[in-house]
Amino acid sequence: MINTLALYFNLFKEFFQIGLFSFGGGYATLPFLYDLTNRYDWYSPSELSQMIAVASITPGPVGINAATYAGMKAQGVLTAFIATASEVLPSFIIVILASKLLKKFSDNFYVQSAIYALKPASCALLSVVGIQLIKNELMIQSPQQGAGVILFISFMFIAVLKNKDPLWFICFGGLFGLILSVFGCF
Amino acid sequence: MEKSITLGEIFLTFLKTGIILLGGGYVILPILQSEIVEKRNWLTLDELYDYYAVSQSLPGLIAINISIFAGYRISGKFGALAAVCGLTFSAFWAIIAISAILSKIVSNSLVQGVFWGVGIAVIVLIFSAVREMWSKSVNDKTSLLIYLIALCTMLIIEISPVYIIIISAIVGIICKSVRKKQGKK
Repeated sequence: MINTLALYFNLFKEFFQIGLFSFGGGYATLPFLYDLTNRYDWYSPSELSQMIAVASITPGPVGINAATYAGMKAQGVLTAFIATASEVLPSFIIVILASKLLKKFSDNFYVQSAIYALKPASCALLSVVGIQLIKNELMIQSPQQGAGVILFISFMFIAVLKNKDPLWFICFGGLFGLILSVFGCF
Repeated sequence: MEKSITLGEIFLTFLKTGIILLGGGYVILPILQSEIVEKRNWLTLDELYDYYAVSQSLPGLIAINISIFAGYRISGKFGALAAVCGLTFSAFWAIIAISAILSKIVSNSLVQGVFWGVGIAVIVLIFSAVREMWSKSVNDKTSLLIYLIALCTMLIIEISPVYIIIISAIVGIICKSVRKKQGKK
């Protein structure tokens, strides 16, 4: 009973923080979701990458999908709801406050100065997630390591040269993995 | 005209938006423009663009923030609640269903193969998002320095990203204030 309540409280606390401190769209929540794997056993880093994949191909904002998924992994539908609602709550409060000020709010000197530094910092946080995922998925010795590195480099080239839809990468990545596993590489 | 908008209508409109919305938050702008500005006249286009602009300087998800702004403008706090519930409804239940199926099939070797490949695609998507954020945020020496310091700190010590965000906000305010004072002299 106490354990369950503690779980609910922790989910509320963590996802409220994510809603409050993530700047710059859905992927900006990922560094926080990654950080949770260090402190809780709700999901593992490799489950996180499955989670992002699922979130990228399901309707709805990626950040919300990831929160629901993480909450679902932690226990069930109720915890999924707690995680999702807790992530939205700070937005709800802040937007309603900002509605009254609107332009004055975003033109405010202190808000602008904070945002000016927050955005590159958020960008750095997301870069770290990318680097950590490379370490986890491509730097560990495995039969499919070579194929993974080749796939990654060619995808990066395609991403830089042609602005392909996220769905395209997910589908081709999945297909490539499927073909490898048919040939018994796993 | 505004009186006649019910919470149910708001919920259903954002439910539809949520179903069409795939991927990131930026996609929501054209959808909302068509659904609530052009088809229903609930907001003006200028209002919607203002909300979009302000949403980017607020914490949280951009799509969620715009929906709360719009819902609040249309019908107050309950309008905002109806908008958020509508927007997240389909996503919520889709994820619940998928995660239930996933946990059953994930031990299959074919599924593991698919997830391995998808996992690599996800890393690429993350770096694409980094590139997009970079182009919007790192455009002078100070912001580059903030980026590098935040990056190195996170790579070297295990620290919650919350602290990085709080510290960088304070640093931003100090830097800009100092520069403002120097400008006056």
